[in-house]
Amino acid sequence: MRMKAFREIRSKMSSVKLQNRVVALFTLVMMTIPLGIGPYPISVMVDVGLYSIVTMGIILLMGFAGQISIGHAAFFGIGAYTSAILTTHYQVSPWLALFLGTVISGGIAAAIGRAMFRLHGLMLAGITLAMNLVFYHLVSSMVNITGGAMGLMNIPPLMLGGFNFSRSFLTYYMVWIIAIVVLGFSLNLADSQVGRVLRSMNIHAGGSENAAQVLGINVTRYKVQVFAISAVYASIAGSIYAHHARVVEPGTFFIPFSVMVVIMAFLGGLRSPWGAFLGAGLMIGVRELLWEIMPVFVTGITGAYELIAYGVILVLALLFLPRGLISLVGKAFTKRRAVV
Amino acid sequence: MQTDSAVVKDTVTSKKVASDKLLLKVEDVSMHFGVLAALKGVSFSVPKGNISVIIGPNGAGKSTLLKLISGLLPLQQGEIWFKRHRLSRVPPHRISALGITQLFQDVQLFSNMSVIENVMVGCHLRTRAGFLSAGLRLPQAQANERRILKRAMSKLSLVGLEQKAWDNPASLSWGQQKLVGLARALATGSEVLLLDEPYSGLLADEISKLNRLIIKLQRQGITILIVEHLTDVLMGIANQVIVLDYGEKIAEGTPDEIQHNKLVIDAYLGSG
Amino acid sequence: MDFPSALQIFISGVNLGAIYTAIGLGFFIIYSVTRVINLAQGDFVMMGGMLTVSFYNMGIPLIPSIIPAVVITGLAGAGLYRFIIYPARRYSRLTRLLLTVGFVFAVQGVALLIWGWDFRGLPAFFNTPSIQLWGATIFGQTPWVIGGMLVMVTGLFFFFGRTIQGKALRACANEPLGARTVGVNIDRMALYSFIMAAGLGAVVGAMITPLTMTSYNMGWPLTIKGLLAAFVGGVNRAEGVILGGITLGMIEAATAGIVPGGYHNVIAPGILIVVLLLRPHGILAIVGKE
Repeated sequence: MRMKAFREIRSKMSSVKLQNRVVALFTLVMMTIPLGIGPYPISVMVDVGLYSIVTMGIILLMGFAGQISIGHAAFFGIGAYTSAILTTHYQVSPWLALFLGTVISGGIAAAIGRAMFRLHGLMLAGITLAMNLVFYHLVSSMVNITGGAMGLMNIPPLMLGGFNFSRSFLTYYMVWIIAIVVLGFSLNLADSQVGRVLRSMNIHAGGSENAAQVLGINVTRYKVQVFAISAVYASIAGSIYAHHARVVEPGTFFIPFSVMVVIMAFLGGLRSPWGAFLGAGLMIGVRELLWEIMPVFVTGITGAYELIAYGVILVLALLFLPRGLISLVGKAFTKRRAVV
Repeated sequence: MQTDSAVVKDTVTSKKVASDKLLLKVEDVSMHFGVLAALKGVSFSVPKGNISVIIGPNGAGKSTLLKLISGLLPLQQGEIWFKRHRLSRVPPHRISALGITQLFQDVQLFSNMSVIENVMVGCHLRTRAGFLSAGLRLPQAQANERRILKRAMSKLSLVGLEQKAWDNPASLSWGQQKLVGLARALATGSEVLLLDEPYSGLLADEISKLNRLIIKLQRQGITILIVEHLTDVLMGIANQVIVLDYGEKIAEGTPDEIQHNKLVIDAYLGSG
Repeated sequence: MDFPSALQIFISGVNLGAIYTAIGLGFFIIYSVTRVINLAQGDFVMMGGMLTVSFYNMGIPLIPSIIPAVVITGLAGAGLYRFIIYPARRYSRLTRLLLTVGFVFAVQGVALLIWGWDFRGLPAFFNTPSIQLWGATIFGQTPWVIGGMLVMVTGLFFFFGRTIQGKALRACANEPLGARTVGVNIDRMALYSFIMAAGLGAVVGAMITPLTMTSYNMGWPLTIKGLLAAFVGGVNRAEGVILGGITLGMIEAATAGIVPGGYHNVIAPGILIVVLLLRPHGILAIVGKE
């Protein structure tokens, strides 16, 4: 009896090692890619990286804690605008501004989270939607501080050591190093007791809030903490985005962005933080392919055919991959582990 | 309100009991769901180390009572005391931290994780797992995981299911699922277990197995409050029986006393 | 505040409220029967407006142009249900919501293809001129919007409350199992709900185009407005949607004049946040029916 359990534990441990190896391989691949491609693909990959960071937060929130947010563009925006404002108006160091952005995002998330998570499902989605709207309209209106609808321009690039990150090449490395660190953190969370507790609370995935509560789990506190973490992720990505794009304007931080990260999380797969990369890669990859390929086949109004194709592909992906791309990836990578 | 370490008369049974031996005290508890009165003025006390059973015909309010004790339902009227703590307006997770946990009638195992992980979730109260240390995979978090796994395994062994540790809960028989639920509840280390109809759906051999387990747990010092339908099984092991009918307590005493109580017999067989 | 300004605000409020409500009702119809949040509702409105413009520009008189516009949009709604939502009937509600987003992209793409980036407009119905009433200016179209909305609401109340079909639709929402037992075809009812919502949206589109013009991407802001109205009022009661819509419209109109800059846009979502925190199911929603 005991031997069997022991053998089981050993097989779990090897799948932990397997995941570690995958992370290492992934890091290697992502770090060497820029050497072989031109500036435009690199810039696309920067987008993928940034979206992935935000989406990982969404996966923790939706896939693990079982809550929904269709307003995360607000946190992305808080990071972006904090960085933009502090570095252009007040000459604050970009890294300090990034840090402050995360503090503000996390703080706001923690503050409103307690009240928010009294709601469930549809109503919760509604309140996150309202939150995004409030952010968007506030930012559009505070013209003196935020530049209003026109936004802020001439945001300085990030500097680290002697490196000036104005070139996409270097930004790529920074984004992806951060993305992989965030991935590591998220995977650790997912495979730990914390991840287990989150899954136990997730009524959409087979958990039970009542059962969790009588076992001593403060369900609300966990929801709020995950929400805050996802806000921090989005804020980090937002800050980097501000320095990368050099411009911020309100339209970027609106509902379409929020819905897009949810779609990415969903299509990538809610079961694992890896899903973020799959989802972001898919959506952005499709977008780029369409914009590249379509004009070759059909001439017409730019954007029209691409939009149509985008919609069709989205519908097809949702219909045929209800569990996300990650369900296609072998079980070895996503099997639940209980051992360190 | 209980006074310290004096000998008091238990207001309910009129027996002399050291007051600090009364673990759980339910005082004049009533509960309405709209117009429906589920419980009316129910009072009783459970001494430490007891196996106490609440029985009564269907709809008598038994499950409601358990949910009030574990905090899943808000207390409308009356008081519930656990040791020196008043349990009104205390959220369920805090009540669990104080030492009371519940096993539901439908168990509600987490179907998105293996059996052992279910029990590991139960170890939650015994860990200090923070987001930061877990995310950074700090040594203390890793040690934590090992400790939790060990503890969960031991609870699973206690109910005899360590072989099924890595299986999907859905692949277990109903009786086995109940045992996993029990192991999960035990992992919390609570001194009071509330069991809601634990015998429902069990086969004969599973029933006797559960009985033996409950007695074993009692010997380990755990106080058990059971709500049940199947009365014969429990008469053998219970120290205290409380009978509810239409939300009111109609009798209380030892199994022997209850079995000869006219009111109880009427309630089960008679007018209803 | 002088009377003309107050009146202007009031009229503006009713107007806005009518628009909010009409779109919110479109949500309500689909949601109540199928539990799907249709984010394409605003795009049905857009389609109605754009198609009406096209038919009008082809020479057909204004009011009759609305009819083919509604028919085509209704067909689009049917297509959305039949080919996109129905195949996903066993998937999660979130999946179905995201599917409507896919539909939005496709529809906007088609709109962009056919009509390009331009804004299109229409004259007021029957060329009603703007009138001056007690110092306030009422655009010619406004009475049509308000009147149309009233007709719509009354019609819906009658339909859902009095007719067999309407009651069948409600039954599907509240008690699918019971509905099936008495022979109601849920699938058919769901289809009808989509067609109705699409048709209604199209009518709204035709009505508001003389006031606000349409363009291929005006769907989103309208969808959001409708969502807010529905949420504030309580998604599972029609009266709630109406109350929510009017309330939001009034408050937005009132604050537009007073509050500087674009801050008045914050009011609507702000109200929703407050409402949801105080009454988690919306002002009038029946608790427990989610």
